[in-house]
Amino acid sequence: MPQDAAGTVGARMNPQVDSLIRAAQRGDQDAFEQLVRVYDQSVLRLAMNLLRSPEDARDVYQEAFLRVYRNLHAFRFDCSFHTWLYRIVTNICLDQLRKRKVRKEEASVVETSDGPVDRMDLFEEEHAAADPERVTWNRQLGSRIESALSGLTPRERMVFELRHYQGLRLRAIGDILGTTEEAAKNCLFRATQKMRGVLGDLV
Amino acid sequence: MTCESALALIPLYHYGELTPEREDWLEAHLHECGSCSQAMDRQRALTRALDRRELQAPPLLVEDCRADLMAAIQGGARAPSHGPWTLFLEALGATFAGLGRMRQPLAAAALVGLGFFGARLTGSKAATAGNAVQPAYTTVRSISTTGSGRVEIAVDDTTRRVVSGGLDDPGIQQLVLAGSREDNPAVRVESVDLLKGRAASGEVRDALVNALAHDANPAVRMKALEGLKALAGDAQVRQVLAQALIKDDNDVIRMQAVDLLVAQRDDSMVGVLQNLVQHEDNHYVRLKVEKALKDMNASVGTF
Repeated sequence: MPQDAAGTVGARMNPQVDSLIRAAQRGDQDAFEQLVRVYDQSVLRLAMNLLRSPEDARDVYQEAFLRVYRNLHAFRFDCSFHTWLYRIVTNICLDQLRKRKVRKEEASVVETSDGPVDRMDLFEEEHAAADPERVTWNRQLGSRIESALSGLTPRERMVFELRHYQGLRLRAIGDILGTTEEAAKNCLFRATQKMRGVLGDLV
Repeated sequence: MTCESALALIPLYHYGELTPEREDWLEAHLHECGSCSQAMDRQRALTRALDRRELQAPPLLVEDCRADLMAAIQGGARAPSHGPWTLFLEALGATFAGLGRMRQPLAAAALVGLGFFGARLTGSKAATAGNAVQPAYTTVRSISTTGSGRVEIAVDDTTRRVVSGGLDDPGIQQLVLAGSREDNPAVRVESVDLLKGRAASGEVRDALVNALAHDANPAVRMKALEGLKALAGDAQVRQVLAQALIKDDNDVIRMQAVDLLVAQRDDSMVGVLQNLVQHEDNHYVRLKVEKALKDMNASVGTF
């Protein structure tokens, strides 16, 4: 199944997914594993982009799917499985983001001779034979974007990630975060305003 | 439209989250206003910069995560901080915390508890646990701790029996009808799926009508709708279909309901359809309704 199928409307009505859930609810571990494989890449991608750390993303993955495993019996098909799963994942990620805010951590930013740089950008550059000027420019832009994103509240950050990178509609995001479409809309608006404020001269 | 309100709409426009009317307003404004048009360009530039930042999960990381997860679930040693015993305790904790709400049979709790151990534990302890759980549905009524640190749990056990037979058997059919009203949506889906080919019986038809009108689960309502297709000419069934068309929040159900309703001319539906066309968001449904109204020589709008 394509990676992003988990986030589409089609997947929400997918009878194959429904039968996997039912089989997993009956204790079928193969079905549970297949169910995980339908959604896990988009979950990991969300965590990677939010937390910018493979180690933290790995922890989110483990915690989220274990919670799914422990609580799957309570899933009653009264919302889509995608929504239910993403409620769990976003709660865990929001906790992580809030803890970082309290500790004033920026896990992904490291100091280099060119100034603060997104660790994940360095990771990407190891595999790219880019020209030095472009690398420097990308690093500057990357660290400015990181700084713009770290100025968002955890909730604004989450709404932005779900809309921009995961391509979910604001209505679905509202469902996941237990809020209204209007509130999600306001969050997205504030997030883009703040980012444009910080990045104004670069973009 | 002022520049201030146009600027406020630009991010939502960019993400396709404006109503068509607002989109039209904004596009007209951007066409005329140079500075707002530049703001739109900056929004696009921001998006391009953000797109370059996007990370994909490396395949090896995905494989590692899967292996860790399955090891933790099966009680492997790869995730010491989440060993099976800790998980089992956590699972028990979660189950006990929800006791006030929980009326699930222990078959569900067994998924939590025994699921961690089922694949690994052998010997008399596992057998005891299995024997204690499998033949019965158990509801925990109360829990208390004694002074010596032991826990006393009061449980109600209900034994389970297996009944088999054909759907023509009235006893079996009654059980399947009871299944269509069960709390567990998986049971309701299976039951309504079995009943849908037998809508000729009055009792089954009533169960299908009830499921389409009231079931909280869209998969159950979908099965009920399929079962009622053969009866789409029946007045009571048409009322329920019309109700589903107006009230059901599931697009697929509304699309199927409109197909069944407009398949035959029915002038008594004109009011419902005229009202619907004013509020319906789904393009397919709206087109179907508009076409049906035209076919009936009825106005698409109301007066």
